[in-house]
Amino acid sequence: MSNCIAGATSRALKAAPPALRATAVQTSVRRTRTFASTCQNSTTSRIAAGRGAQSVRQWQGRGRGVEEMGGGEQNRMFSSSAPRGKLTTIEQIRSRNKGGPFNLTAAILFVGASGGLYVYFTTEKARMARKRIAEQTKGVGKPKVGGPFDLVDHEGKKFTNEDLLGKYALVYFGFSHCPDICPDELDKMALMYDKVREKCGTDVIVPLMVTCDPARDNPAVLKEYLKEFHPHIVGLTGTYENIKQTCKEYRVYFSTPEHVKPGQDYLVDHSIYFYLMDPEGDFVEAIGRNFTADQAAKVISDHISDWDKPLKKEQRWA
Amino acid sequence: MGWFSSAETDGVKKTSGGAFASPSRTNRAKCYEARDAFFECLDRNSILDSINSKDGRAATAKACGDSDLVFEKNCAHSWVEYFKKQRVVNYKKELTIKKIEAEGGEVNMIPPQLPIGKKA
Repeated sequence: MSNCIAGATSRALKAAPPALRATAVQTSVRRTRTFASTCQNSTTSRIAAGRGAQSVRQWQGRGRGVEEMGGGEQNRMFSSSAPRGKLTTIEQIRSRNKGGPFNLTAAILFVGASGGLYVYFTTEKARMARKRIAEQTKGVGKPKVGGPFDLVDHEGKKFTNEDLLGKYALVYFGFSHCPDICPDELDKMALMYDKVREKCGTDVIVPLMVTCDPARDNPAVLKEYLKEFHPHIVGLTGTYENIKQTCKEYRVYFSTPEHVKPGQDYLVDHSIYFYLMDPEGDFVEAIGRNFTADQAAKVISDHISDWDKPLKKEQRWA
Repeated sequence: MGWFSSAETDGVKKTSGGAFASPSRTNRAKCYEARDAFFECLDRNSILDSINSKDGRAATAKACGDSDLVFEKNCAHSWVEYFKKQRVVNYKKELTIKKIEAEGGEVNMIPPQLPIGKKA
């Protein structure tokens, strides 16, 4: 037990540069208390507290002796306990453990553990961030984006928000006479949709395009228009009032004139976001134009995989 | 309706108001092609603005009148106006981005992603 502390001291002294060694010895008495307590913390934690205190006292005694003997005697005292050449059992053990806790197994374990922890914490952090986004719109009151709507799909059938329950929905607002942005975005939507289906299954998400231009985009026009992008995209239209209400719920700005003459040529200015809605009809996240199809597909499929079992995904989507 | 009616035999099919009868992918492609040819002509003649100013319109009619006509024939009239205005906006945007980058700022722009094999 006293060996442990003495050994630690001698090691520390040997490690120190020769110039420092003398000063270390001279001040050893003053520093004894702190030094011993550090030792106790680091190297002798195995020793019970009472015994540790005893060893400190013993060392203090030695320290006083050292000061009386002077610096020159000091080296001999420490080295005489274990002369080189004649290895005692303790020395043999010590030399075997010369590398300390650093060996190959320890290194592999350390790298493995820290790598595992890093991966765990980063994925968990990302998951929590997504969960926070997804749950911002949950809870008391009306969801901030989205809501009930009563529209007509591209087949001419009635289509309401009820038809979306149980599946994720990717909602886009556009119009068929859109010069360049909407076609690009709808192409991107088709890519996103295919990627998400590839990752998460074929029946988890519905792509939707709600027209902001109901005067020109009747079900037939939408059907013709959307099949060029992806046969699965559902086109929604309706009366001007119903479209206006839906746009308002989704916080979509649009500039369609209310009364247009047949054949009139005009453009519609509108918000260009994809709205991801969860199986309960709540808004999850808006995906802007700055996302590539891959990035957007990743965001969506991550949200889908976060949707956990208590909500009975399997049953609802059966 | 002037040459709009003749556009039905020459360019894409349009409504009496000058909009596309059907804004299909092929019609869009034709329109983009005509637009690019027209803009190329403007570039050659160093005309930026072909719509907002009187001088610009006159210079365009003089230098690129033919390709402007083809452009009008192949696109909805609203699209023509939109693209002409967009050309000016895009140019100003590029200038601003260059200015920001010259001052050490960073602008992240992702070009829109299009499918490689276009569906029929």
